[in-house]
Amino acid sequence: MIRVLPYFLYLLLIAMHEVIWKDIAGLYFMALNITAMIVVMVATYKTETAAAWFGFLAGLVLAATQPTTMGWHAILLAAMGVGVYHIRERLNLESIYSKLLLIVGAVLAHNIVSLFINGTDRFFYMLWVYCLPSAAYTSAAAWVFFLFKERIITAQKLKSVF
Amino acid sequence: MSQITSLFPKDWRNLNFTLIVFFSILLIIDVPAVNQFTSQAIIKTLYFPFFQFKSLMVKMGTIAYENELLRQKLVEAKTRIALLDEAARENERMRSILGFEPPAGYSLLPTRVVSVVYGGNQPVAAVINKGAHDSVSIDQAVVNQQGLVGRIKEVMNSTSMVQLLTDPANRVAARIADTREMGIVKYRTGIGLMLDNFPVQGTIQEGDLIVSSGLGGVYVAGLLIGNVQGVIRQPDEPFCEVELRPAATFSSVEEVFVLKSDIE
Repeated sequence: MIRVLPYFLYLLLIAMHEVIWKDIAGLYFMALNITAMIVVMVATYKTETAAAWFGFLAGLVLAATQPTTMGWHAILLAAMGVGVYHIRERLNLESIYSKLLLIVGAVLAHNIVSLFINGTDRFFYMLWVYCLPSAAYTSAAAWVFFLFKERIITAQKLKSVF
Repeated sequence: MSQITSLFPKDWRNLNFTLIVFFSILLIIDVPAVNQFTSQAIIKTLYFPFFQFKSLMVKMGTIAYENELLRQKLVEAKTRIALLDEAARENERMRSILGFEPPAGYSLLPTRVVSVVYGGNQPVAAVINKGAHDSVSIDQAVVNQQGLVGRIKEVMNSTSMVQLLTDPANRVAARIADTREMGIVKYRTGIGLMLDNFPVQGTIQEGDLIVSSGLGGVYVAGLLIGNVQGVIRQPDEPFCEVELRPAATFSSVEEVFVLKSDIE
């Protein structure tokens, strides 16, 4: 049960983002794709099965308010989890930048496929104004997260600056 | 056996993927009951607390906005009440003025004080909102329902300057209303309104009414100036010092009348 708790908290985080944080964190057309980012994180640090199941559940949570697209989002994120896991297994992901590259690619792929799932008639326009900027924006957020996670920035260092 | 156990993880992995694909396809083919149930279950368990939180925040924002709006309305209402109170007070003053009659041969020109000039801590002059266009001229007496206020000192087109009795430079020829004995009313800084040049052997006592005598031609005879507040007789002095309590309240003068002769 305790092993499952973190995943449940990640799902809660996704739900919170969808309800509260999404509108606040949005900049112009850019949106923070927390869901894809968390799935990549899980796939980077956990097992293949965990990544697949978490991707599946994250897809369900993400599309809970649009029941007709739930299955597509679930299988998309599950596949993304498995894919990221295999990339991690085959590549050296010690550097923050390689992880960020993975996140940019995953978020971009997720945004593009989501466009098709949700249906859009202006694909290239949306690709330019939404998919690419959102991927950059999300990777910037992930970069800040990694800076703290890898202890490149710590609370003590921040205090010493001020 | 070892071969079986070594195969198990692979099968376990395949089973997981098969389940994920199966559930995904089930949701993709869009069986309404399954999709609705899954959606409702997720919304009720994961989304619900955040929906509640968000609606609470929205409610609080609305309440804060309403609060701000109500505060603004309260200020407006308070201002309106203050204006109405002021109008009520003015109405009361106007009612008391209604019965005020001018001396025979004179008519009253109602005016409003627009500003007051102070000398020390006492008002010495007032500007009224009537001037030459309203036939106001220099040396006309200015009164209110309480008594004599002063005289017109300067006249502009639409305003005039009134020299109040409290101006030390102002003099009024006066007499005691009952005994008809005369003196000169003037204001002494630091002491107040005095009746000067009143002989020590004259008959005067506290409470006697002092009115204008009409001598000198500026003030009409019989205008109430005040009453005697105190009399000081010095043995070696030919005149006594008579302190007066003015009839008009100069510090709160607002509506006054210019006395215009009907003959002019």
